[in-house]
Amino acid sequence: MIEIHGLSANYGEARVLNDVSLEVHQGEVVTLVGRNGAGKTTMLRSIMGLHRDLSGSISFDGKPIEKWSPNARARAGIGWVPDDRGIYASLTVAENLTLPPVVHKDAWSMEQIHATFPRMRERRSSMGTQLSGGEQQMLAIARVLRMGSRLLLLDEPSEGLAPVIVQRIGEIIREIKAQGVAVLLVEQNVKFASTVADRHYLLSQGRVVEQLSNDDFKAREVELLEHLGM
Amino acid sequence: MTTTRSGLVTVTGFAASALMLAGCAGGPPPAPESDLSNDKVVIGLLNDQSGVYKDLSGPNSKVAIEMAIEDYLAEYGDQAVVTEDQIEIVMADTQNKPDVANTQAQQMYDRSNADVILDVPASSAALAVAEVANQKKKLHINISAATTELTGAACNPYTFHWAYNTQMLAKGAAGVVEDGGETWSLVYPDYAFGQDMVKSFTAAVEDAGGTVNEAIATPFPNDNFSTFITRAASTDPDVIGTMAAGGDLINFVKQFNQSGVRDQAQLAVGLMFITDIHSLGVDEFSGTTFTDAWYWNYDEQNREFADRFLDLTDTRPSFAHAANYSAAYQYLDAIQRAGTDDADAIIEELEGLKVDDVFLRNGEIRAGDHSVVHDSYVAKVKDAADVEEDWDYEEITATIPAEDAFPDVNPNCSM
Amino acid sequence: MDAFLQYTVQGLAAGGFYALAALGLAVIFGALGVVNFAHGSFYMLGAVASAVLLDVLGIQFWAALVIVPILMFIFGIIIELLLVQWLLKLDILYNFLLTFGLSLVLVDLVKRQYGVSGLPYELPAGLGGLLQIGSVEVPSYQLFVFLFALAVCLVVWFVLSKTRVGMIVRAATEEPERARALGINVSAWVTPVFGFGVALAGLAGVLAAPFRAITATMGTNFIIILFAIVVIGGLGSVLGAVVAGFLVGLVEAYGQGYAGTFSQVLIFVLMAVVIAVRPAGLFGRKEAV
Repeated sequence: MIEIHGLSANYGEARVLNDVSLEVHQGEVVTLVGRNGAGKTTMLRSIMGLHRDLSGSISFDGKPIEKWSPNARARAGIGWVPDDRGIYASLTVAENLTLPPVVHKDAWSMEQIHATFPRMRERRSSMGTQLSGGEQQMLAIARVLRMGSRLLLLDEPSEGLAPVIVQRIGEIIREIKAQGVAVLLVEQNVKFASTVADRHYLLSQGRVVEQLSNDDFKAREVELLEHLGM
Repeated sequence: MTTTRSGLVTVTGFAASALMLAGCAGGPPPAPESDLSNDKVVIGLLNDQSGVYKDLSGPNSKVAIEMAIEDYLAEYGDQAVVTEDQIEIVMADTQNKPDVANTQAQQMYDRSNADVILDVPASSAALAVAEVANQKKKLHINISAATTELTGAACNPYTFHWAYNTQMLAKGAAGVVEDGGETWSLVYPDYAFGQDMVKSFTAAVEDAGGTVNEAIATPFPNDNFSTFITRAASTDPDVIGTMAAGGDLINFVKQFNQSGVRDQAQLAVGLMFITDIHSLGVDEFSGTTFTDAWYWNYDEQNREFADRFLDLTDTRPSFAHAANYSAAYQYLDAIQRAGTDDADAIIEELEGLKVDDVFLRNGEIRAGDHSVVHDSYVAKVKDAADVEEDWDYEEITATIPAEDAFPDVNPNCSM
Repeated sequence: MDAFLQYTVQGLAAGGFYALAALGLAVIFGALGVVNFAHGSFYMLGAVASAVLLDVLGIQFWAALVIVPILMFIFGIIIELLLVQWLLKLDILYNFLLTFGLSLVLVDLVKRQYGVSGLPYELPAGLGGLLQIGSVEVPSYQLFVFLFALAVCLVVWFVLSKTRVGMIVRAATEEPERARALGINVSAWVTPVFGFGVALAGLAGVLAAPFRAITATMGTNFIIILFAIVVIGGLGSVLGAVVAGFLVGLVEAYGQGYAGTFSQVLIFVLMAVVIAVRPAGLFGRKEAV
């Protein structure tokens, strides 16, 4: 679904991504694991087209998209759930949900959204940022599902949330995966990552240092935790 | 043409040229003796080329000065001590700022060798130029500024004030009081000009037996006068006098007309030019009284001048244009008599001169304070229905004799 | 008491006008992050255009209320495409300087073409005279301006808060990058929003024509008051601009009634107090960190 080759990205003088290659297939959940500052968020922003100072190739559904604007990439089916959840304070919950255009026939209907995220119906008239952190995370995910994104870029969805909510997010990711949607997940929570992902890329100082299957990942959990400094 | 020119010749000018002609009788007239600095006469025109006073005087004052030069040359022909190619006009913009006026005046006197600077609207700019003139010992004839300071505390031997001042503007108020407008409310912008005007108006109204209920200060500049107008009307005066000028005046009058106060009280305007009436439309101003220094459609002589001016500029002259003409002409005429453009010699020629021309009626260049006194007029803006042609806006209801318009030598002046 | 009521009515009438004039400034700042110094000149162009339309083509006030905003919308689009958009990615100062320069150019062009003494304009038929409201007399035209401005503010508020267009504008205002990442072509919305803000300035100019001096410089002082209004209301807040517009109108009227020369100073005292108590303005949001 998405293939990235030799991607390098700079922030001014500093190189934050160095010759990174990775791919995510349809219906696959892949994580990017690494310490803070390893370049995970830059990776997602580069895929979204929000980070422009880069070289290398990105192809989505077989089409090169490096030159595309962010909104063209979104319309092609890439859905971004930023680490701050990106909920609009000046829009209601319902407006936050319906803001993006529907870009794919498999997009979730409002009924589906409400069935999976009942709080979205109850709080539909509240302003977006009046929701709790967990609800905002749900809203951010629901928003790209309603849009019909085929590849979800999830930036630390479990961060700062209660275990029961993290668990719920895990369920939702598995449900999405079952529908053939691809997910590229940035995570520091190794336990959570191992419950949802098929494969893992280990990112360090802007490079992919290792690629692991989920079984290997589980087996080396302690070592990885140490690497991540947890 | 002939009548105009003859009208322009001053009594003394006549005498001088007659003497000269007599002296030359019997042979081809030799070139008259003259002693010109830099071998030429440079007239500096320093005024507002882009701001609120641009239409009042501005670039068209240059046309008026050119007309004066033309008339001077035609009047004296071969006997002119200054020939056509010896006269030069230089022009600059003060932007109505004293600092700019100061710099421009210095440049005109020093670099362009200006012998005289004419015009200079905006009182603060005028005072700055008068100061420079005094330092450089060169002439300044002020036309468009209103302050009495020029002939008062700030007077000096090198500065003349040709057309009008705040005291004279208030004189029209006496006529309004006599016509039954006995109680007044004044609304004025709270800076030097406005305060000056309020003093003059209060004195003029009270001298004529009227009373001023209150004087209301407003910010300057100001767009919204609605509540000030309500306040001015609250004492139920016969007349509301506004000292606002330029764009502020237009704001005031538009809002005054809409306020309904127009039906209760008459409007008198402290400082208004014909260009203001032209821009706002005669309807908005109709019935308004003000003091005018000169009106183009007053008599045949004025009209003839105005027709010439119209041909050259496509517009009718304001009093400032006529006054620029008058000052330039009288200046050249003084050179003719003195045979030199030396400032002190010219001052001697001008001081005490009694003069009549298209602008100055019963005029006298008062030696005591260099105020040029002349007849002034109480003008009433016509109703739209009575306007017969473009710029035909004023009805002159009374003439204020020169000695009433500019009564006494300013006591604050010591040369 | 009568005087107080009279001042209040006058303050509200002036406030409606201020609100309408400040609205476009708030919309443009909100959606583009442009501190539009040329807003006063756009207002001036609206008034001058009305006077010229009347003088040259005999187009009356009522038609001008429709035609001038359309012309100004087109003019705004041209300015945005030609100039403003190229500086949007740079520091906010660049567009501030651009619009400052633009206002100087526009003022001088109008001076050159139409002089400095101002242009005449007639009060529209049927809006002369006075209306008696209780013990207070109000000029009909002031009342009209108040009601019209209020209606326009309500329509703008409705469009912004209740329609899809408004939703997109709000999102693009709050966080344009995120809106792009959600598939919204923000750039395509920015141009017409700028044009809309300019049209609102032009509309205020049409309303001003019958009761303000129509001169090239009529916007130069006005823009200062408008900036005070949007700062009081909260930069970019439409509701804030409207509420602050009325506040400033009232403060000015009471100032004129009871404090004379200080009436204009009071506006800036109000601004200083608001900034001291709520730095982001009455309805402003704190900048996202």
